[in-house]
Amino acid sequence: MNNNRVAVIGAGMTKFVRRASETPGELTSYAVQMALEDAGLTIDDIDCVCLGTAPDAFDGIHMKAENLVAGAGARHKPYMRHYVGGGTGVMSPIHGWMHVASGKFRTCLVIAEEKMSPCNPHPAGAFLTIFDHTTEQALELTLIHIFSIEMCRFMHVYGYSEEEIAQVSVLCKKNALDHPAAQIAQKITVKDVMNSPVLSWPVKRLDISPTSDAAAAIVLANEQVARAHCKAPVFIEGVGYRLDTAYWCTRDLAFPNYVAMAARDAYEMAGITRPAEQIDIWEPYDPFDYKALHHMNALLLDKSGRRTRELLASGAFERDGSHPMCPSGGALGVGNPIAATGLMKIAELYFQLSGQAGARQVKKNALRGVAQAWGDLMQVGTVVVMSSEGGMPRTTRWSRMKAQDLAGTALKSVEDVPNVKDEPDLRYAWDNGMALTTYLDGFKKGVIRGSKCPKCGRMMIPVRCFCELCNLHAVNDVYDLPDTGTVQTYTISRINWDSSPLPEGKVNIFAVIAIDGAAPEMGLVHKLGEVSQKEVKIGMRVKAVWKPEDKRAGDVLDIKYFKPVSGKEGLDAKPRQVKPAELDSISAKPYKGRIPMKYIYTAGEGGSRFWKDVAKGKLSGTWCKACDAVHVPPAAFCECSMTALDVEKDARALDPRSGRIASFTIVTEDRSGHMLDDPQVVVQVEFEGATGSVFGRLEAGSNDSIEVGMPVELVKTPKDAGPGQVAFKLLPPNARK
Amino acid sequence: MGVFILGVGYCGSFPTSSGLSYRELIARAAAMAYQDAGISAEQVDGAVSVEEDFVSGYSIADEYSPDQICMVRKPIYTVPGDFLQGIGSAAMQIRTGRFRTVAVESYSKASNILTKDELLHFAYDPIFNRFGVTPHYLAGIEMQSFLGATSFTAFDVAEYSSKSRSSALSNPLAPYASCVDAADVLRARQVASPVTELMIARPADAAIVVVLGSDEAARACARKPIRVSGIGWASGNSVIERRDHRISAGTAVAADMAYEEAAVRNPEEEADVAYVSDIYAHRALMHMEALGLSQDMLPRINPDGGAQANGDQFEATSGARLFDAVRQLRGEAGAHQVKGACRAIVQGWRGVPTDTCAVAVLEQERS
Repeated sequence: MNNNRVAVIGAGMTKFVRRASETPGELTSYAVQMALEDAGLTIDDIDCVCLGTAPDAFDGIHMKAENLVAGAGARHKPYMRHYVGGGTGVMSPIHGWMHVASGKFRTCLVIAEEKMSPCNPHPAGAFLTIFDHTTEQALELTLIHIFSIEMCRFMHVYGYSEEEIAQVSVLCKKNALDHPAAQIAQKITVKDVMNSPVLSWPVKRLDISPTSDAAAAIVLANEQVARAHCKAPVFIEGVGYRLDTAYWCTRDLAFPNYVAMAARDAYEMAGITRPAEQIDIWEPYDPFDYKALHHMNALLLDKSGRRTRELLASGAFERDGSHPMCPSGGALGVGNPIAATGLMKIAELYFQLSGQAGARQVKKNALRGVAQAWGDLMQVGTVVVMSSEGGMPRTTRWSRMKAQDLAGTALKSVEDVPNVKDEPDLRYAWDNGMALTTYLDGFKKGVIRGSKCPKCGRMMIPVRCFCELCNLHAVNDVYDLPDTGTVQTYTISRINWDSSPLPEGKVNIFAVIAIDGAAPEMGLVHKLGEVSQKEVKIGMRVKAVWKPEDKRAGDVLDIKYFKPVSGKEGLDAKPRQVKPAELDSISAKPYKGRIPMKYIYTAGEGGSRFWKDVAKGKLSGTWCKACDAVHVPPAAFCECSMTALDVEKDARALDPRSGRIASFTIVTEDRSGHMLDDPQVVVQVEFEGATGSVFGRLEAGSNDSIEVGMPVELVKTPKDAGPGQVAFKLLPPNARK
Repeated sequence: MGVFILGVGYCGSFPTSSGLSYRELIARAAAMAYQDAGISAEQVDGAVSVEEDFVSGYSIADEYSPDQICMVRKPIYTVPGDFLQGIGSAAMQIRTGRFRTVAVESYSKASNILTKDELLHFAYDPIFNRFGVTPHYLAGIEMQSFLGATSFTAFDVAEYSSKSRSSALSNPLAPYASCVDAADVLRARQVASPVTELMIARPADAAIVVVLGSDEAARACARKPIRVSGIGWASGNSVIERRDHRISAGTAVAADMAYEEAAVRNPEEEADVAYVSDIYAHRALMHMEALGLSQDMLPRINPDGGAQANGDQFEATSGARLFDAVRQLRGEAGAHQVKGACRAIVQGWRGVPTDTCAVAVLEQERS
């Protein structure tokens, strides 16, 4: 066993805000600069960088980590992104830990970033496409729906009332009043939560954390570096991460086994055998209030749920209690820029265990804490145990930190600042393959099909041709199953997939239905119909209502909905094995879909300065003192020295007529690959006295005569121009003189 | 602690693969890799999947990674990067001493993406770099800069492309192998001058799974383990306005890291075969320079035909090269076997608009 110990020696973060004016790169750079300063290091002391950020669909940039290289301080360094959906934030220090504990690196900068506000009409819309494209997306689900479905099951199994669960929201928002980065800290009551609008029962507005923009960073170091640079290093003593099946309707939604397994891994590594007694501070992931309790059951390794109930009822989760939970204020109070939230929780353990939490410092003498995150299709758990060697609360920059000390500019609307709009045309046609072709063929014929693993004997829905639990053993036996089942859990929704409200009085009831004849509790998600909100309940027997045969298309919408039936209907039906010959010549068209999002990108500090200048026919660069260079385009930070730049104070005027073509290309296609009517020239232009260049189009002229080195002038653009309108025109060869 | 490749599995590559879902494509590669490694899936401690959201068409691609590699409820996460970065991440896990075996998986279902150029355009910085023209424009800018700074010509680039495609006729797995010559490549339609259509790798479907293990695991089960003696990864500047487009700085830094770990001093002399990313043909030559490999090495570069002949498989592209490298080092590459191959360099690149690259040094295990 490798015994390289890894410690957190510095942390930084921006404010958590609903809409930030800064670009993702700018937010990231501010968190990085702060973490480096806190650790007493410079970017040159950093051996490697790892970055956690959740869906690209939020920031609206494909391969978004690549766009963040500069902001992350990763230029010309080993740099790698990791990703487990909502669990990414706590996966970040785990991946960083691997970098250092492997002995390959001495120091690692760990960053988590999320900018959700570019995603329109609402970031929640990005969750439509987290569901299986072929078997679930057509139902137009969103994340709130499955949270609600899970919360309903959690309440059913553990007997929580909505009021009891609301106490968590009250606690977190109160704790966040002392957090300098907090977005929605406030003093509220259980009644406030109960009276807030129902979005998708049982989830109400104040049960949920907000969408947010922010970045957070920590510096990890091996023990030698940590002891040399840090008075109170906080060591990562245990890590665990587990990912459950993507077939979420087959899973126990009341107890997150995958979180408990991850916790067990982390505890074993940290030598913890009795977590309730040996852990002082708890930072479970709390994107919804019930989730904190759901996760505490797993972190306490207590499937009965009794301990969590006792601790909640006794007030032990308060900051001055025996088991302080979310002393930071959590996602519910500080905000929830997905990946950055998890790393904020890690930073909170660092502050608490090194005595720097100031007004948030827990009352007990805390030596050990656990942070956890969760995500994907309710399937991933990431857990980190951290410990210090003890220390009295002390006064540091972090203990005195105020909101005004943190970077991050909150906007009411992203259109209040210079911005660029884009709507990518992202379309797909997914191959169904053998298994789903068989499954969808069943829908066309009005039957629900499963396949049976010869090893474990599970009858699986949807059909698969291998068993994910039995060493990928081949599964060849396909069955027609009854189209009846039992409701396992449900939600009564008042919102669409994009979070917009349904018409007044209309609701959609989504349920997880265990299909008769399938493995116990294995089923699918679908809508319920012909049932009132008051009648629906867990355990209700239901039957599929099919479209007429001539209207069926071979997709999941061939079932219009499931309706209630009397108790015994369907129970006697037996699965019928489908002869292989029946499946030999079937074919299913690829399932077509698209990513339906639009984006509004704020230009940030550097971009705003650039667009402001260009609209006046001017150009400026930003002087970096550390590099003694003028960066063009203007920049709010220097990616070489990772120092902050002021695009106004450090602005240096450049002559827009001093351009020289550094490189060029003649393009014949548009962004979609369609032929352009006329070829266009894209040029890279360098300017006298500046480091860097500007890319843009060359105004129409003779494409054949273009050469590297030709003088060009940057053309004045309209006020609301985007990158497609940056243009240059050729100057006479002797213009420079 | 040594890290070894215990087994490899590859399903591909295909211009289209409508008979297989992405799950089925990956499951085949996984079953093949576990069999090759001499272990069952339940004996694998954890996994790294290497994929990107919008390539898969999901907003959170990693959700769909565990089932088809039989890693349900195991330690698994996603590296949205180059396949070799996933290998680097898995190797670090093993070196912590907490994992004995880790699988690395990646796939491409490029044929399912109807608007590939639009997707690539979406990778550019929205404030400064989305010009509404083909996203290959940066490749044109790069190639122009590269040719201007070196003695290479457009003909050299075309010749690289044509030789890759035609020599791959001996590789039954290469769907884009074809009889073309340099003149054909130069005559092909210009997409972003001087880059022509035949200098750009066509998209392809494939899945790759590699099982890594510790020395102990290699001794216990592997048929022909291959040592990962060095691995490095690095990124050039993401601000393309301040990136030097004549070189691949990402490759140079990654190579330094890998060579130092593998104690490689003279790569051209010490490597028997090398693989470089050639999604664009000029990048093959640019990467060779950054790796310290001269033109004399060309006959031993990408003997499988590279991406020019096997296709652009997005994140999985360098995985296909690694698969061939393992077969070369085992002496199992068939008609395109490089005689006496004992040490290989494999390089990967993430494609435009990035300069994120990774380099691995692989060696036959000496008995």
